[in-house]
Amino acid sequence: MNEESNHEYFFELLAEEIPASMHEGALAALRQRLVAFLEGLGCKGDVEGQVRVQSTARRLIFRMGRLPPAEADRTDEIKGPPRRLAYDASGAPTAALHGFLRKNGAAVEELVQSDDDYVRLRRTVTGQRTTELIQAAVPEIIQSIHWPKSMRWGYGEQSYIRPVHSIISIFDDQPLPVKLFGLLSGTVTVGHRTLAPGPIEVTSYGDYVSKLELARVIVDSDRRRMAMAERSRVLAHEVRGVPALDETIWAQWQYLTEYPGVVRAEFSPELLTLPEEVLVTVMRVHQKQLPIRDAAGSLTNSFLAVTDNEADPDGNAAYGNSFVTNARFADASFFYQTDRKVTLESRLDSLEHLQFQEKLGNYRRKTERIEQLAGAIAGTSGVDVDDARRAARLSKCDLGTEMVKEFTELQGKIGGIYAREEGLSSPVWQAVYDHYLPVNAEDALPRSGVGAVVSLADRIDTLCGFFLIGAKPTGSRDPFGLRRAAQGMVQILLERDTWHITAGMDQLIDLGLQGYADVREALHAAASEKAEKGRKRAATDRGADDRGEVLEFIADRVRTLLQAPPYALAYDEVAATMEAGWMNSLPDLLERAKAVRRLRSDPRFLSILDSAKRIANITAGQPESELNRNLLAEPAEKRLNDLSEVLVGQIAGMIVERHYELALQSFAGMADELENFFAEVMVNVDDSGIRQNRIALLRRVGGAVAPIADVTRIVVDRRELASRK
Amino acid sequence: MQRHSFQSLIQTLQAFWAERGCLIDYPLDVEVGAGTMHPSTFLRVLGPEPWRVAYVQPSRRPADGRYGDNPFRLGKHYQFQVILKPSPLEVQDLYLDSLRALGLDLARHDIRFEEDNWESPTLGAWGVGWQVLLDGMEITQFTYFQQAGGIDLAPISAEITYGLERLTMFLSRQGSVFDIDWAPGVGYGPVRKQEEYEFSRYYFEVASVDLHWKLFDSYEAEARRCLEAGLVLPAYDWTLKCSHVFNTLDARGAVSVTERVGVIKRVRDLAVRCANDYLASRTRLDFPLMTDAERQEYHERHPVESVP
Repeated sequence: MNEESNHEYFFELLAEEIPASMHEGALAALRQRLVAFLEGLGCKGDVEGQVRVQSTARRLIFRMGRLPPAEADRTDEIKGPPRRLAYDASGAPTAALHGFLRKNGAAVEELVQSDDDYVRLRRTVTGQRTTELIQAAVPEIIQSIHWPKSMRWGYGEQSYIRPVHSIISIFDDQPLPVKLFGLLSGTVTVGHRTLAPGPIEVTSYGDYVSKLELARVIVDSDRRRMAMAERSRVLAHEVRGVPALDETIWAQWQYLTEYPGVVRAEFSPELLTLPEEVLVTVMRVHQKQLPIRDAAGSLTNSFLAVTDNEADPDGNAAYGNSFVTNARFADASFFYQTDRKVTLESRLDSLEHLQFQEKLGNYRRKTERIEQLAGAIAGTSGVDVDDARRAARLSKCDLGTEMVKEFTELQGKIGGIYAREEGLSSPVWQAVYDHYLPVNAEDALPRSGVGAVVSLADRIDTLCGFFLIGAKPTGSRDPFGLRRAAQGMVQILLERDTWHITAGMDQLIDLGLQGYADVREALHAAASEKAEKGRKRAATDRGADDRGEVLEFIADRVRTLLQAPPYALAYDEVAATMEAGWMNSLPDLLERAKAVRRLRSDPRFLSILDSAKRIANITAGQPESELNRNLLAEPAEKRLNDLSEVLVGQIAGMIVERHYELALQSFAGMADELENFFAEVMVNVDDSGIRQNRIALLRRVGGAVAPIADVTRIVVDRRELASRK
Repeated sequence: MQRHSFQSLIQTLQAFWAERGCLIDYPLDVEVGAGTMHPSTFLRVLGPEPWRVAYVQPSRRPADGRYGDNPFRLGKHYQFQVILKPSPLEVQDLYLDSLRALGLDLARHDIRFEEDNWESPTLGAWGVGWQVLLDGMEITQFTYFQQAGGIDLAPISAEITYGLERLTMFLSRQGSVFDIDWAPGVGYGPVRKQEEYEFSRYYFEVASVDLHWKLFDSYEAEARRCLEAGLVLPAYDWTLKCSHVFNTLDARGAVSVTERVGVIKRVRDLAVRCANDYLASRTRLDFPLMTDAERQEYHERHPVESVP
């Protein structure tokens, strides 16, 4: 590249309104492809900084700056025939070499010296013009953006997220024609749909941004967002309130607009008697509105709504938003009145008509299983068994309420609210309210032990049921949310000590599978019938398989969760400690992993690792045998034995006390003596008695920390650790 | 803003779309839940024939009835339906012009198109589009039909469905549907409230479950007989009747969750067969709604396509 890299390319795709929820994913994909394109062009350094991507409700926009005029020249090397076949005895080129040259349109003079046994051609390829590369790449990049649901329009020949109207493609103030969706690019776009709908001719990105601003389109989505956030704050302040902070609403608002505005509206104050959860859900999820709270944090009857119009001079948007929100709340109010005419518990029988899963029966049956499970889990915990059973029995009763039918995302919460209003005890109503928690890795856990128990019971039942009928998640497909169910169990069990829950994952799975005895029998019978017809081999013992599959599935979630924040453990730390057992106590696993993490950066860790590895290598495949003191002969092995007699016992004690870090440090204390042992004592001697005895000694030493972790799985950077010594 | 009655709104929309080349059709005389089920939409969107139509369709949704007590919900409401096939690129602008024709100065309102896709399991149909929000209130469903009766569509039709009561309420600043004017001096309430009450009672409390199950079976059998006889349009009428009978049973609480899937499938099977047979019949008739030039161009593009 001799010329300066100071060129600019600018692109706009004008479409019909692109779904707000899809912008961020599309922009990230677009940015990634553009950066890759620039790297392919030979750009180095802050390549990310050369790319700007933007979008509005109906535009995708990007600009690439500091572009070189052409791709960097490069040298290609082409491998030819082996040298011995390329030249004859007299050193003249053979037919094979001539063939190679002909194929590449090259002369003998272009061959280069090479170090290996092949002849090679080397030639300089002049880089293509950037403009040509853009013309080839941009259509492909735009079409490659993955949209969750694309569509066709007109004669149905094109497919994209929404119909495409026009394309702008400009390189350094000059149109650079590209063809996309049957359209040829130009330099003209339009302004805001209703505020400035006329055509606008532009010459560059800078020109575009300022002309569109005059035409009531703010290109920068962050600026739209900030403008709306600030306006929200002011409008809320006018009624002495604050807007609820809500990233998901801002993220939607900024892509629903081109010229951002916010209006404040009110709903009838008597509707404030509805449960807050209902009001907030209707506003946030159904209306994409932002509630306003007063200084004390209480909900007010004022709220904020987005508009794609900066002003609302006649109060139309405020009126319309009040109108529609009142209508929604009127419906909710009707449901709230009628739902509470009967008790939650009296809805239990009607759950028979609500199917959980075709082969797994209805929700009445599921409720019975959850109740059983909750009772069993509570029975070994510091949680009241009667409360747990009661809450479990009521947990799904709200599925038949009008409120949950209309606002499904309120399941659980509605049951909890109705239970509270019926006067049920706090542990019970809170457990009903909380039992879908945690919804994701960042979500809160149930606030009480009863809630945690019911949540565990519900999840393990779902997991076991779907695994029994073979409905396991595959790849990215997880229609029943089983990954989330399993992850929630892991999150709760990691904190189980808070509620004195003692059940481990293995016990939960056994309990869960027991609940499906009838389903398993039916499946078994069906499988046998098939087998009898000679179409399949006889059903083997599926029980063990199911248990193993569920465990492995949950183990995956444990690995994922522990490697993510807030734990942020390394892959090898988790693998090493899980190898020493995980399913009966996740809190214990976490402590062991943390001990390994703390110690691995300690120079002594190298001794732990080396010792463990040497012992593992030498004892691998050897038969088990008893250690016999009388067979110890060499001084080094006697000393190692004496030391280990003291330390192995101490380490075992520390492990019982869960002082894992101390145990690992003590283990490191044997390293020197072990070193001497390996230096002075021969393990693989002919006398099998002595050999076995030495292996037994090493096994005792090596096994000391096995209950904590298989430390040989830890990967260390030796140089770095050694340098800290 | 001019003051609109229910009736003047319809007249304005009809005049507007007629000027834009739409044929003005009339409501289907069979009970349906939406204007989409009218043959002028469901069948006409199939195949290559161009089609531009606008019509009012009274839409019965038994489960939505509220005995005339709820200011916003009705067991029967009226839709204004527009189909533009193929969808023109300026369809959104045409739509906005129709709002201007109703007297709205759009610069003084908030208009947004929010994603809202449409799917009808009973019709084997789906489309992609938006709900149009005027000042935060949904007044229109805007859909690009992608499939109907399980058949991929080409060309694509744009469907615009105005909720007439909603729009009139908003334009006349009324808080209850029963307070709008049907015509100047005649209220919507006095015209319709008794009907809302009686049909709510009928669908929720009185309708004979036995009779409706029998009707369902009979209508279904008759639809099949019509299909066997090569009469797709009568068959489609009977299919729609099945659909309405199912909605009645559903409102009556007579369809269990397990039954539901099966019954919907029975209606869909009929709808899918009607769609396929209709397309075949139009192909046999060599697409009567095409001009000679269009027909010739179509045959040039599809030379090997044989008549089913």
